[in-house]
Formats: sequence, C-alpha cells, structure tokens
Amino acid sequence: MFSQLIISGIAIGATYALMALAMVIIYKTSEVLNFAQGDMAMLSAFVAYFILEDQGLGFAAAFPLALLFAFCLGAVLEFGFLRRAKEPTVLGLIIITLGLQMILYGLASWRWGSDQKNFPFPVSDFEVHEILPGAVISDLNLVTLGWALLLMLLLFAFFRYTKLGVAMKATQQNHVVARIMGIRVNRILMLTWGISSMVGASAAFLIASTDTLDPNLMWNPQLKGFSAAVLGGMTSLPGAVAGGFILGVIENLFGGYVSVEFKSVVAFAVIVLILCVRPSGLFARHYVRKV
Amino acid sequence: MAKRLFLAAALLAALALAGGAWAGVTKGVSDTTIKIGQWGPQTGPAALWGAVARGTGVYFQMINAEGGINGRKIEYFLRDDAYQPDRTKAIVKDLYENVGVFGFASGVGTSPGMAVMPYLVKNQIPWVGSASGSTHWAYPPKKTIFAVYPNYPDEAKVLVRYALDTLGKKKIGFLYQNDDYGKGGLEGAQAEMKKRGLKLAIEVPTEVMDTDLSSHVLKLKEAGADAVVLWLLPKQAAITMGTAAKLGYKPQWMACSTLSDAPLMYKITKGLWKGVIFGNFAELPDSDNPLMVKYRKAQQEFAPKERWGVFFYAGFGFVEPMVEGIKRAGKDLTVDSFVKAMETIKDFQGIFGKVTYGPDRRQGIRQVFLAKCEDKGQAKRLSDWIDAE
Repeated sequence: MFSQLIISGIAIGATYALMALAMVIIYKTSEVLNFAQGDMAMLSAFVAYFILEDQGLGFAAAFPLALLFAFCLGAVLEFGFLRRAKEPTVLGLIIITLGLQMILYGLASWRWGSDQKNFPFPVSDFEVHEILPGAVISDLNLVTLGWALLLMLLLFAFFRYTKLGVAMKATQQNHVVARIMGIRVNRILMLTWGISSMVGASAAFLIASTDTLDPNLMWNPQLKGFSAAVLGGMTSLPGAVAGGFILGVIENLFGGYVSVEFKSVVAFAVIVLILCVRPSGLFARHYVRKV
Repeated sequence: MAKRLFLAAALLAALALAGGAWAGVTKGVSDTTIKIGQWGPQTGPAALWGAVARGTGVYFQMINAEGGINGRKIEYFLRDDAYQPDRTKAIVKDLYENVGVFGFASGVGTSPGMAVMPYLVKNQIPWVGSASGSTHWAYPPKKTIFAVYPNYPDEAKVLVRYALDTLGKKKIGFLYQNDDYGKGGLEGAQAEMKKRGLKLAIEVPTEVMDTDLSSHVLKLKEAGADAVVLWLLPKQAAITMGTAAKLGYKPQWMACSTLSDAPLMYKITKGLWKGVIFGNFAELPDSDNPLMVKYRKAQQEFAPKERWGVFFYAGFGFVEPMVEGIKRAGKDLTVDSFVKAMETIKDFQGIFGKVTYGPDRRQGIRQVFLAKCEDKGQAKRLSDWIDAE
C-alpha cells in the first residue's frame, strides 16, 4: 500500500503542480493572486467539450482550439477588467479576480447546466503499468506527470533566457522602471494572463478526464494548486511543481495512514505551517523591496 | 380628544377581530387555487437532483390540465437554492410570508431541509415528500411534515441483506459521504450487520470536495472487502469507480438510490457502472406501469426538452401523496383537514413503493427494490419491492 500511496500522490500532485504553475506565472509578473484561475480553466474545458461533443471534431482540433480560447480568455479578462481598475492596489485586483470567478462560474452553469458530463480523452486512465511490486501508474498519470515537468522546464527557460520572459520578470520587480526601460508593461501583463490561462486549461483537460466535467470541476484543484504554490514559494516555477508533488504525497500518506477524514484539510495545515515558518516558501528567496 | 382616542381604539379592535375572522381562511388556498412552493438546486454541485423540482412542476401542470384538485388549480412556485441551506431558509420564509403558500412539496437535500424544518414546524406549514432519505423528517413525528422517500438506514439494510444472503458476500465495505446523508446509510448497514452478530469489514468516509480518492479506495482494497456499498454524490462515485479500475480492485459495487440514474452513471463512469447493484425508490424509466406511461406523456407534452431520468419523474412521485391528501381533504381545505386526510392514507401506491401514514406515523414508504446496471446503462430489475423490516 505504501508504494501505491506514494505513486498515487505523485500522480495527483502533478495536477496540483499544473494549477500551481498557472497561478505562479501571474503572481510572478503582477503579484496578484488569481482566484479566477480555476474557473478560467473550467470554462476552457467546457469549450473543448463543446468542440468535441457538439461540433464532433477530433482531439487534434479540439485541444488546440480550446487552448487558443483559453489564451484569448486570459488576455481579454486582463484587458477588459483588471486594466480598467482605477489606481489599482494588489488587494483591489485580487477582489476583481474573485468577481471574475463568480461570473465565469455562472456563465458555465448557465450555458452547460450543472449535470456531470463525461469528458473524453485520448489517453486511458485504466491502462496501467506496474512500476513497483503492487503499485501501478496509468498512462494518463504518466502523461500528466510528463506534461507538468515539460511545462515547468519550458516556462523556466522562457523566463530566464528569452527577452520577453526577462521583460515579464522586470515588470514584476518594478512597473515604473520597466516602463522607462521601454517595456510595454500592459502588453506584458496581457500576455502573462494568456499564457497562465493556457497552462490552467491544460490542467483542466487532464483533471476532467478522470473526474466528471461540471462547473465545480476546478474548485478543489485550484485550492490545492494554490497551496502547492505557497509551499514552493509563490515566485518559483520549479518550487510550484515540487510543491504540487509534495502536497500530493503528503495528502495520500496522511489519508492512508493517519485519517482519511482530514485528508483534504492537510493542504490548509501546510499553508498555515509554511506561512509561519518559512513565508517565502521552500524554494523561493524572499524578495525584499528596498526603498 | 379622549373620544377620538376611544374611537381609534374601537376601530383597531374591530380590525383585529376581523383579522381573526380572516384567519379562518387558509393561507394559500382560495376557491380556485392552491399555492404550493418548492426549493431545489438548479445551480451548484447538487444541480443534478434539481430535476426533481422541475418534475413536480410538470406533474402540477398535468393535474391542472385535468381540471385541478377539487376544482382548485395549483399555482406552483419553484425557487433555486443552489443546495445552500441559508438560501433555502430565505426562500421558505419569502414563499410563506410574502407569496403566501399553503405548503411545500418535496425539496432536494438533507441540509437544506434541516435548515428550514424548525420554521416549518413552528408555523405548522405542511411539507410533504422531501427528496432526501434522512430520518429526521419522520422521527420523531411532526404534525405537518410527511416523509415519502424510503429513509437511508432502511435502504442500506436492504442492500446489505442482499449482499450477504443472495450474493453470499462475506466482507462488506462501506464508502460514504461524511455527513448526515452518508451516515444515515452507514447506520442502517451497521444495524443489519449487528443483527447477525457481524461487523462491516471497513468504513471509509469522504468529504464532498475530495477529488482524489486513491487512499480511500486503497483502504477498501487492503481490507479485502468483496462488496462495497457507496453512499456518495454521483461525481465522487464516478471518481471511485475510475480509481478502483486503475488499481485493479473489483468488488461487487452496490449503491444508494441517489445513484440510481443508471444511464447517467454509466456515461460519467465511462461504462464502469456496468454490474453495479443499486437501490431504487421509483419505477425504472422504461417501466410500463400505467402511471409511468401517463407521466411520460405529460413530460412529452409540457417539458419535451427534459431528459426522462429518475430524478425528473421522482418529482412526480414525491408529490403524489400530497396531491392525494389534498384530494381527500375535500373542498374545505385547511391545514388541519389536510393533516387528517393524510393520516388516512394506507398502502397508497403511485410510481414509488407503498405509502402509509397514521396518527403517529410520518414515514410514508419503507420499501425499495434493487436493480442492476447492464450494457449502455440499461437497468435490469432484480427484485420486487422489498420491505426494510
């Protein structure tokens, strides 16, 4: 049971890691916690479902189109709502994202109803490989795991080695100076939201295939993703991914050996503990703003 | 001045007296109409069960089209509470105090119902057929509250008895939602085991928001349960089936009647629901029971877009006893005459099991039947109505 708990923990942790990545990308550039993250992803999953089931197109068309939708959705929300905020404070922006979350949730409930739906996926969760004696991992788990790691590496490289990535980092550290240096801060923020929304959407596709698709799809994953991001340090991409895996494993071990009732609460205990002991997270250096 | 005051007082007294006389007119009942309300989740996590309230609407439309009850047409008020008890409270208060309904029909959910029960009891408002199998409605009996749904402990007893006696299973596991709903089932299963000097092999609780159930399923597997009874929401039942399939765990799955929408369950479990045995409080969708045929026709006429699923037509079934009671109360319909009429109902059968009430009996149905999910989510009936006791 022990090895299976660890493997199941890593598998579920990969989905937390993806959500954590999505949250960290936005936080890294604007220091805004995006509470609409989960429902932006949920809406994109519904769009994928719509293209697959109602339009009858294949996965090869549905997923790219839905990701494109996710990018546009992120960009539009930034452009249409966050940028409109007058004299924005970080808190004000966070509250805007809370409002967006409610709008998106309502929109999905209205358009698709809240019946559970089956979300088709090309990779099976029932084709399994016994990688340790008595412990299995499914094809879908492997894909999720690989995707989380790949995205982490790509994003890491993007932020470190591309001009655009560096510009994004600069935007976070100081809007004004970034602007003076010729960075179009607004455009950077819009782009960040687009990319983050795509990462979240890919997580939603993977989660919906083992879960059922309904407007509440991303409620739990978003909370867990947020916890994972805090655990890893809100600004570190590898930290977010490691945080996701650690959280998944801790949860499963706790559920397996200590108390299955309090399994879901562990995530919150972790947040509180980390905020007390190491507020900058396990993998991030605390960024001290010098005046 | 004093004279004027006296006049005003007299006027007030006269008004108060007249008000007393008006109280003789029952709230929500006129010569031509009866106002009836219902809450039901049209949005939120339990919205799947919200079809109940829409089913009741169609049932009332059908009755109105046939001329109403004793010459009165039903005015129906459906409100969405999103399965949030505080909203249910506001809805019930508004419908009773502002709209002025006679009573409430059905209404989904244990916690929403629990939230409003004290108010309904205090104001002696009729409430019939909660769409929840909780034992709180009927035990202890309350004058104006009538339960229809066979309660969860009764249903769990029948399922466990079937697993032990008919299927010959030895180790029964129980996976339940950690709240009133799940614990109700657990209690019944424990009681049935205890009666035979046995114990459940393992009891595993889940929280509503859990979406990763691998440690739960591993626990069941470790305990070696050869039959597992599920008392969950459809979403979690689907996750459980997927996780178990992945981990190669194949007990005989059994499920509560809240999961009896076999075509839906088959679809959202990607076919894994095949072989699951589940409790039923209502006839199967394709039943040729004459009432079912009639109701299906009403659905095609009044709500052709609705899916003919169990939770939709359950909205008819939960309310059949209420309509019967109103009918029996006759032209002089008051809360008291309604309660008296309800208490005369004995072995009344619509599309559910047999309903019986009495002066101190408020639990209408104490029987369920079992069915098994076959290919494509077809349900095959395994038994006739089985009494819990």
